[in-house]
Amino acid sequence: MAEAVALCAPAIRREPGKFWIVPPAALLALLFFYPLALIARQAFLDDSGVANAAEIIRVLHSRFFLNALINTVTISVTATAGCLIVGLVLALILAFVPFPGSGFIARLIDTFIALPTFLVTLAFTFLYGSAGMLNSGLMEAFSLPLPPVDFLYSTWGVVLAEVTVYTPFILRPLLAAFSLVDRGQIEAASVHGARPFRIVRQVILPAAIPALIAGGSLCLLLTVNEFGIVLFIGAKGVITLPLLIYGKAIQESAYQVACVIAVVNIALSLGLFGLYRFAAGRLGV
Amino acid sequence: MSAVAFTGTSVMDIDAAKIRGAGSNVHFDKVSVAYGAHVVLHPLTLDIAPGEILAMIGPSGSGKTTALRAVAGFVRPASGRIRIGAADVTDLPPYERGLGMVVQNYALFPHMRVEDNVAFGLRAQGADKALIGERVKEALATVGMATFARRYPRELSGGQQQRVAIARALAVRPRVLLLDEPLSALDAQIRRNMVEEIARLHRSLPGLTILYVTHDQTEALTLADKIAIMRDGRVCSHGPTTELYRRPPNRFTAEFLGRANLLPVTVAEPAGSKGFATARHRDAVLTGAGRDEKAGDRSLLCIRPQHLSLTADSEHTNRIVGTLREVHWQGELTHLVLDVDGTPVRVSATKLPVALPEPGAEVPLFFAPADTSLLPEDAGG
Amino acid sequence: MLVWSRPSRIVLWLLFALLFGVLFLAPLAVILLSSLADQWNGVLPSGLTTEHYTDVISGSAGRAVKASLVTGFLASALALVSGTWAALSLRLQGHALRRLLGLLFFIPSAVPSVSVGLGLLVAFSHPPLLLNGTVAIVMIAHFVLISAFTFGNVSAGLARLSPDFEQVASSLGARPAYRLWHVTLPLLAPYLVAAFGLSFALSMGELGATVMVYPPGWVTLPVSIFSLTDRGDIFAGAALTMILVAATLVLLLGLERITARATGA
Repeated sequence: MAEAVALCAPAIRREPGKFWIVPPAALLALLFFYPLALIARQAFLDDSGVANAAEIIRVLHSRFFLNALINTVTISVTATAGCLIVGLVLALILAFVPFPGSGFIARLIDTFIALPTFLVTLAFTFLYGSAGMLNSGLMEAFSLPLPPVDFLYSTWGVVLAEVTVYTPFILRPLLAAFSLVDRGQIEAASVHGARPFRIVRQVILPAAIPALIAGGSLCLLLTVNEFGIVLFIGAKGVITLPLLIYGKAIQESAYQVACVIAVVNIALSLGLFGLYRFAAGRLGV
Repeated sequence: MSAVAFTGTSVMDIDAAKIRGAGSNVHFDKVSVAYGAHVVLHPLTLDIAPGEILAMIGPSGSGKTTALRAVAGFVRPASGRIRIGAADVTDLPPYERGLGMVVQNYALFPHMRVEDNVAFGLRAQGADKALIGERVKEALATVGMATFARRYPRELSGGQQQRVAIARALAVRPRVLLLDEPLSALDAQIRRNMVEEIARLHRSLPGLTILYVTHDQTEALTLADKIAIMRDGRVCSHGPTTELYRRPPNRFTAEFLGRANLLPVTVAEPAGSKGFATARHRDAVLTGAGRDEKAGDRSLLCIRPQHLSLTADSEHTNRIVGTLREVHWQGELTHLVLDVDGTPVRVSATKLPVALPEPGAEVPLFFAPADTSLLPEDAGG
Repeated sequence: MLVWSRPSRIVLWLLFALLFGVLFLAPLAVILLSSLADQWNGVLPSGLTTEHYTDVISGSAGRAVKASLVTGFLASALALVSGTWAALSLRLQGHALRRLLGLLFFIPSAVPSVSVGLGLLVAFSHPPLLLNGTVAIVMIAHFVLISAFTFGNVSAGLARLSPDFEQVASSLGARPAYRLWHVTLPLLAPYLVAAFGLSFALSMGELGATVMVYPPGWVTLPVSIFSLTDRGDIFAGAALTMILVAATLVLLLGLERITARATGA
């Protein structure tokens, strides 16, 4: 036996299961990458299967597409900025000015990650809708004939709902980053007379920047992809790319148009995904 | 805790199917390991005799853990062969090598009770139930943990966990036990006790070959029959423990294994038939064990701090004079630091003259030729 | 403690209460309230009733709950197997291939759910792979969307697992399959449970892809909530949403308990 083993050339050493990866990879390829490739292919074919590249140009120059693109980007950027601000404020208080029950509250906010996004929109309808609590209250109090608050059916309604839904995605990495900040450093700084604002700026924020960048790019990605919130608000003027794809494919059965828009949407998302991975990998979040 | 006699004595069962050769020596035959272009272990040739404890010591990154992992089968040598007994194991996966292994953080399986941890190897190899029960009892008794069989690892202290880890490795009756920094996660006090326990354990299992990787020279000096000192992926010295301590072959060994004063000298008379050479340091003529130095060679004279005395007697015939710089009293020992013509010289003394000289005073130091050795000035840095 | 003076701490806490109240507490409270509201024309409902719950339960809700639970369970189970399999077998690959494949397994989480649904419609509407109009296409859509999360969770667990456990196991003679079953998977269990819980929750709330591909007989909770509110039946929608939230939370808490008991924490 010993001789036999000794005679084995290094090349025929046992290579442990390189092929185990094949089943899950094949499954993903069939169910995800193959359909993705077909979307790209379908973008060049009209709905009877004939090559039609002119349609792509027409869609990309159309008003509905450009509006949706602008809406998507505006909402995504605004909502992400909102998430960053709200998340930072909440995280600072939870981590550095804790109160009884703050741990429980942090976990409660965390469970919002697991809840469906349209829940918030539905709630906002009751709160800020034209017959909602806020408008009824104001109409009763000031005897107004018409509901005075109607931001819900504009991009602002979508932005506010997305801030609620996606702030936990900022909060989670921020709290993790803050838990690593050396409390002794903060105490030493305050003993030396530094004011809280200065400590936040000089000690805490530098520690939070990786989490903010990674969380922020994740938020950008998720808000670009958001569908439920926009669908539930159902405002005529607020159409985003995912909603447009749904409308073209399901309501108008215009598959080529839907596929052209989907290609743009997917490219945008993958770009943001690359940004997120780069940020997260670079900053070690 | 006392080690209970291990009933298996020196006859080791050989369970691993692929290893049928006699003996339990480990042989490295020009084994090298590289990660890409980065060589972490230069071709290493080394023998560990059956029943021997070899301690591999060296600073981190010196290649000692890599050598152990090559024996275990976790890293593939880029070249060379590894033999255990008569069998070439180079191409065998770890689970066919018939080894036992203990690592720094114990790595007890947290979801298993102590007894299941110890039974793990035997169950994995498909041993029958009665044998498993017997072996588990035996192994736990060997390390004094029999009463903890039903506990979970998280309910044990670090020292207890490490004992269970050792029992788990012993239960498979390995021919070679690999210990990878087994005590470095423990407190100093527990570590001292565990070193002594491992020594006792080995006395009750004299056939067990142990490769013990550590960065702690005290563990190595206490336990090892032989020591290999690693540096930059190479063996810098290798030999019986006392030999290596008393006559270090090079400067790195002298300084890594215990403390050493190294006085630059010029060889006056090469070693004769008795092995002693004489050398000059300034106008002092000093005698020490020599090797193959020639007259006129520049060399280093190695003297351990505890071998220097402030008083002369018939054995302490070498004499040098230094200026006393510092005195550190530490209870059992007093450390003196002197300056001998620009070379700092440390003295560890248990007995001191009643009237201790003041710092700044010229103090003569005496030492015996038998406690002194010459070593080359450059080799090994 | 960053802020020492009590008044400024109270100001900060009030700010927190305001943000938390407006953004998180109010929506949940209002959904709960509206699901129980009798008539709601003023600031507060005029009365409370459980009528919406009995309505939706006697109506289509039972079928929607079942569709969501079955879809969630099957898609999560498949995602768990495939994600764990992928994460484990990825470790056997060379460095470069591991990075590339790791990235590819994450990509489904980055693609908008509507596009995933669109892709499935385009790909599986013709023979030989005619799945359009079947329940399977809903399962597939959910599986694709959650697979990256299970893969990510299990990979994170594997990355945290000290290699010592597996190495000691193999040095003691455990073959790869024995080691996987008795060491690696038990040690990964908390991550597997967490991955399953998260996938299940995500699947329960999935709307974008489902709305593209669902067949008439397989209406999930989010889809039926949407059709209720779209028809103007927002109170019934709220009641159904509460059922969805309750089902999700019960599931997550239950899984958390199981994990806590299993790890003895």
